Amino acid sequence: MAKEVTALPSPRRRHLANWLFFRVGSMLALLLVVGPVLWVVVTVVANAAPHWKWSVLTTTTQGTSGGLENAVLGTLLLLLGVLVIAGVIGVAGGIYLAELVGTKANGKPRGGVFRAATEVLSGVPSIVLGYVGFTALVVGLHWQLSLLPAWIVLSVMVVPYIARGTETALRQVPTVYREGAEALGMPLGYGLRKVVLRSAIPGVVTSLLIALAISAGETAPLLYTAGWSVDNPSFSLLHKQVGYLTYPVWEFWDYPSKQAHYLSFDAALLLVVIVLILLVTARLIVARTQRHAESRR
Amino acid sequence: MSRRIRASRVVPVIVLALALGAGSVATAGTAWAAKKKKNDKVSTAVEKPPKATLSETGSTLLYPLWNIWAPAYQGKYPQVSLTTAGTGSGTGISDAASGTVDIGSSDAYLSPADNQQYPTLENIPLAISVQVIAYNLPGLTAHLKLNGKILSEIYRGKITNWNNSAIASLNPGLTLPNLPIVALHRSDGSGDTFLFTTYLSDQDPNNWGKSVGFNTSVQWPSTPGELAEQGNGGMVSGCKATPGCIAYVGISYLSQLLGDGLTYAQVLNGKGQYELPTSKAVAAESAYYVKKTPANGTISLIDGPVKGGYPIINYEYAIVNTHQPSASTAKAIRSILEWAINPKDGNSSQYLSQVSFQPLPPKLLDASLKQIAKIK
Amino acid sequence: MAAVIPAGALIASVVVLATKAGPAVRVNGAHFLTGSDWKLGNTYGAIQHTDGVAHPLGSSYGAWPLIAGTLQSSAIALIIAVPISLGAAFALTERLPRWLSSILRFGIELLAGVPSVLIGLWGALTLGPLLARDVYPIVADHMPNVPVLSYFKNPVGHGEGLLTSGIVLALMIVPIIASTARNLFAQVPALPKEGGEALGLTDWEVTRKITLPWVRSGLIGATVLGLGRALGETIAIAMVSGALLNTITPNVYGTMGTVAAAIVSQLDSAFTDGTGFAIASLAELALVLSIVSLLVNMLARFIVHRTDSLSAPVGVGF
Repeated sequence: MAKEVTALPSPRRRHLANWLFFRVGSMLALLLVVGPVLWVVVTVVANAAPHWKWSVLTTTTQGTSGGLENAVLGTLLLLLGVLVIAGVIGVAGGIYLAELVGTKANGKPRGGVFRAATEVLSGVPSIVLGYVGFTALVVGLHWQLSLLPAWIVLSVMVVPYIARGTETALRQVPTVYREGAEALGMPLGYGLRKVVLRSAIPGVVTSLLIALAISAGETAPLLYTAGWSVDNPSFSLLHKQVGYLTYPVWEFWDYPSKQAHYLSFDAALLLVVIVLILLVTARLIVARTQRHAESRR
Repeated sequence: MSRRIRASRVVPVIVLALALGAGSVATAGTAWAAKKKKNDKVSTAVEKPPKATLSETGSTLLYPLWNIWAPAYQGKYPQVSLTTAGTGSGTGISDAASGTVDIGSSDAYLSPADNQQYPTLENIPLAISVQVIAYNLPGLTAHLKLNGKILSEIYRGKITNWNNSAIASLNPGLTLPNLPIVALHRSDGSGDTFLFTTYLSDQDPNNWGKSVGFNTSVQWPSTPGELAEQGNGGMVSGCKATPGCIAYVGISYLSQLLGDGLTYAQVLNGKGQYELPTSKAVAAESAYYVKKTPANGTISLIDGPVKGGYPIINYEYAIVNTHQPSASTAKAIRSILEWAINPKDGNSSQYLSQVSFQPLPPKLLDASLKQIAKIK
Repeated sequence: MAAVIPAGALIASVVVLATKAGPAVRVNGAHFLTGSDWKLGNTYGAIQHTDGVAHPLGSSYGAWPLIAGTLQSSAIALIIAVPISLGAAFALTERLPRWLSSILRFGIELLAGVPSVLIGLWGALTLGPLLARDVYPIVADHMPNVPVLSYFKNPVGHGEGLLTSGIVLALMIVPIIASTARNLFAQVPALPKEGGEALGLTDWEVTRKITLPWVRSGLIGATVLGLGRALGETIAIAMVSGALLNTITPNVYGTMGTVAAAIVSQLDSAFTDGTGFAIASLAELALVLSIVSLLVNMLARFIVHRTDSLSAPVGVGF
């Protein structure tokens, strides 16, 4: 180390290098990250806005034209299911990881099978999960393309995110809170609910919102589990296909008709709006709790 | 404006289709009446369907027609809801087989293995379709002459530029551009691939037939810049975006194809003539094969030895399981199919001419109705 | 109870894949990984039996072009994404004005959240044609005819292909690498860094001499994590690669295919093979993809965890 310091080049060159690699480098990275995102969003908006009609939200798809009411409702229904199924499993799993399994002697958290399983699961490509869902549930169990297999596959996909998000949120709750609850004589479960979980809620909600954003944007697994329908979704779990917003984007974008293109970009715009709402909400929650936490200190 | 241009280009085909449609229906009327006396079981009446939600998926060639049919049928029978999807004939067959949809659509008939694996599945001819060979050569609107040998060489990467001498000698008087050929094929399992590769196997048995063969999905030899496109829609959009492309496209995309600045080729038939896909040429080809069509509708109509015939035509099939989970679903499926092939309803020229299809000849109508009656 | 579900789902998936793929693994043998032909065979012809497994005459499944395409596109993605991600992660951890870093942070989150199908749509309709018209020709014309770089020579094609796929993939893996790297940077203790500053080192020197060595193996882990994501990316690549099955592109612009894109484009037509062998071979493809991505992911997490004592969530917390 000391040798390197003595061997440093002239201050001017060092500051030039600093400026080049650090300031310019970070600016470039900023540009290369934010630029394409903006470009994607602008492309979608610019293609969808000129012909946008609000009736898209109130009419169903007819073939390759019409509206997207069926797809919007289908996506919302899919998200609702994911919120319930993956939410319960993921949050429970997160609590289990953070609160119940304790830590090893060397201070590393335990987690055993669940942690291993969630980590491995999060590495399985979504198309593989879709394939398994299709062969096992849709064809194998004769459920056909329908709501339940789509819920299951999406949930399996996002449980790891929710579990990890919940675990992180819980671990960030100061130990003092837990001790306080214990000192007040609260039973473990009660203290967890009333004190620890309450302070972890923003983090948990954020991970749920991000999981929903991921689910809303999935295509490959849904093609083979939910199918596609021009009818508004019903609540039948099996044997009835469901529409969703990524389908018209994927299916109609290269269909040679204006109406199909419009529909494709309308669906893309609606997806952007949904994802933005979810992510902005998540960001606001994080920002608020951070400010809150800072002011408390 | 663009609509008018498009319309004016399609008019000849449509006029011919109308003329032929009227003619064949007229002659059909009498032949049919005679047949009806002999066999009273077959009725052309469309059953009144119960309340039902049905789904159709498959052939992207049939997809535009389903999108015209579905609202018309639902206008008459609002109690039935029908979701259509253009996913490729492969999906049409597989989803009907697995029961994920009620009606599969396919440009290709079921294979012997399919029949063995799914004995209750049947392929019901609904209409006659045509495949065109489209290309995007900026500034060139003439209908090039192409044959199976040249197409085989293009799709095997032997001919890679439009100014190739083999193409030029076949098309004297045309100035062919120095432009790399981009061969488009379908990425999904497709009846159009089946038709196209059957034609190539027939015309070039020693090369194509032996090395690639025919199927709804084949092992495409590598060619420079080749593209796999999803659905007929993808073929048209992809070809439009790629000057120098060549693509095989179902005729139901003719209006989009011409509207997008593409055009199509004269294709060599089994009698050594180059023909355009006019209704006359299609009728000549189909007349030859209708006589040979077995009761289950399974036959290839490709490259027949027909004077003046266009060599790449086919029956469009509905793939349906004859054993339905409920009697009411079965009835609704029967109703839709009966309506679809009825010369006064789905098979009338007001629907078929929009996609340049030809109606089912009477003999086949009869056979299809018998097949539909089996759906229980 | 809840702990059982992910494990159950995982085991069930593996069992389903392995059962489905069994016959294909036996019949295809090593040819599956080394062969360059993916064909259903003549499903309209006679049925053959090999080792008691029925399959159509002439069916043959060699996934090498798909495997190669996956590796090539992922490699390009990493080459592009790693520097961008590291730059973004530096920018986030080091001294950037508050408002700028919050824009960047949200940009990364948004990039992670933008549906794959929208990136594919943009890649196919906007980015690809633009690159093929304005960028690729310039690159191709100026490439010298020497090994490696000759791979960048003409023809540039039409915008769908390997390089476009790599660029699109790069965008999609930047968030995961950047957020993991940021978490790692945040764990470098302040003391050595402050020490470096006290010695008069510039920010860049502190980063290069103190921060980077501190988290080096973690960064490798983050990169491998990005690789895992790139290997499995499906829809966007199906839209911008050309979605081929049997072709290894002769240059960097050519059309090609990947394993994941093949699974999404072939699953339906595989069902037309009445013998079920096409489905079995597709299951084998899915099995190969899952095994590779699982190994890659486990390796990555192992490396990342080793460096990060707090076990901050990997690739999740932004």
